[in-house]
Amino acid sequence: MGRVAIIGVGHSKFGKRSDASLRELAFEAYSSALDDADIESSRIDGSVVCSATHYDKQRSPAGVVAEYLGLNPQPTFNIEAACASSAVGLRTAWALVSSKLHDVITVVGVQKMTELSNEEIQELMGRAGDVMWESPFGTTMPAYYAMYATAHMAKYGTTEEQMALVPVKNRKYGSKNPNAMFQKPITIEEVLKSRPVSAPLKLFDCCANADGAACLIIANAEKARKLTDRSVWVAGLGLASSPMSLAGRKGPMTSFEVTKNAAKAAYQMARISPNDVDVAEVHDSFSITEILNYEDLGFAKPGGGTRLLEKGETELGGKIPVNIDGGLISKGHPVGATGASQLFALAKQLRGEAGSTQVDGAKIGLAQNIGGIGMYSAVTILRA
Amino acid sequence: MGFEKFGRFGYVSQTKINPLLSYLEKGQIAATKCKKCGRTYFPPRADCLDDRHSGIEWVVLDGKSNLVTFTKVFFAPPAFQPETPYLLGLAELSNGLRVFAPISASVDEKQLKPGTELNLKVAKGARDNLFYWLE
Ligand SMILES: CC(C)(COP(=O)(O)OP(=O)(O)OC[C@H]1O[C@@H](n2cnc3c(N)ncnc32)[C@H](O)[C@@H]1OP(=O)(O)O)[C@@H](O)C(=O)NCCC(=O)NCCS
Ligand SMILES: [Zn+2]
Repeated sequence: MGRVAIIGVGHSKFGKRSDASLRELAFEAYSSALDDADIESSRIDGSVVCSATHYDKQRSPAGVVAEYLGLNPQPTFNIEAACASSAVGLRTAWALVSSKLHDVITVVGVQKMTELSNEEIQELMGRAGDVMWESPFGTTMPAYYAMYATAHMAKYGTTEEQMALVPVKNRKYGSKNPNAMFQKPITIEEVLKSRPVSAPLKLFDCCANADGAACLIIANAEKARKLTDRSVWVAGLGLASSPMSLAGRKGPMTSFEVTKNAAKAAYQMARISPNDVDVAEVHDSFSITEILNYEDLGFAKPGGGTRLLEKGETELGGKIPVNIDGGLISKGHPVGATGASQLFALAKQLRGEAGSTQVDGAKIGLAQNIGGIGMYSAVTILRA
Repeated sequence: MGFEKFGRFGYVSQTKINPLLSYLEKGQIAATKCKKCGRTYFPPRADCLDDRHSGIEWVVLDGKSNLVTFTKVFFAPPAFQPETPYLLGLAELSNGLRVFAPISASVDEKQLKPGTELNLKVAKGARDNLFYWLE
């Protein structure tokens, strides 16, 4: 038990949603979260809207989202922490309800990206690196993560074949997730043959830009107990920062200090160790990212992430199933919605409602969400 | 022209470290040094982290560096597509500070690996823009 509960979760279909606008995507997720919590919208006393707003045509989206969801005149505002926006949204909501400033609040992660081309999006993502000293050289998110991949390959002998195990695993589970953008499994050969994006990363090593929304209903313990007996409890919250510039970071670039720091805080708050985690969602923006995350979260030793994959330890039935909702690589990555989508998957697991991908007896779930090129990282631990 | 002259395609036009451009014009790469405590910063900073002192002087770097990591970019933002594919690198300078920079197309990329010795040199772009790259 904790002080703050997730009492409902909702999710839109992710992908190229040419049928829906930002506000309509938010509505899909919000409405399904209310149904899930079995409460009326009138119960919600504030909304935390999470979006990296430069990808949306709408500026200051909290305004229109709150209006379209019928959440005026309650407080609303936007949270932006790049790809980690909605994990930070949960942290914000936690503080708002545990302080009793609010009783029941909604966290709406939403992003409408595909009105921009992938080239335009990568230009904006490149500027989520240091805009004075790095973006002027043509940075992109794949380029930044590729630099971590190059370093990991050189230090630990990690190969492109080993990295390909990540998309192969995640796309296998993505095929069971009706909300995922890609629902077709892929093979190692297909990954290896796919076109280069930023060497050594190829098309199928990358997540795709997408439209989508995911929503959480958050309540303090007292309200949660009154409203439902299906609560999932927030047991640990870790958030840390790193220099945004790559040049400002130290070491061989084979791990993310920011994730280690966030994990330490979350494990401490939840009073657990990595071994206690039954099911995890980690930020697989790229194949290499999932491998680094295993190591930074303490699921594997430094350099040992690929062994975990080869032994099937992060598959369903393995020691610690990871991204068995398909991860960002299958679902697509509507930046502001991704953190809430991870927590959606964990809530389903901890309530025993994950169907064919249910981890038997899952009691403790961990979600890890990196913002941008690792200037932010959030680790959230939930308990059944 | 302001600081947007820096880089292959610069975004920021206004900054306190504008003098970097005059060093680049002269073919030199310079760092800033805090006049109070002597700490050196590269990329240049106008304000010292240690003592919040904002009096700086400029010191010229020798450019010797070791590659930390790199990538070859095939999918590029619109402004950079004429140069695609291109190499980007992170390198450690002889003073221990790090630089993020393109790697010159004249470098044999098969020789590149973490630890490779390179030199940070001034480069001029076609639009009168100035930057540095690893050679
Ligand atoms: C990799 C990337 C650059 C490819 O973009 P692109 O070359 O414009 O690709 P297109 O949109 O032309 O797509 C061509 C095909 O590949 C598919 N595709 C695109 N990106 C894909 C991806 N990442 N994974 C799998 N398939 C992908 C498309 O669905 C399309 O399939 P179709 O021909 O069957 O319709 C783009 O997906 C991207 O930017 N990904 C990274 C996103 C990112 O950095 N997020 C932040 C992480 S921290
Ligand atoms: Zn000083």
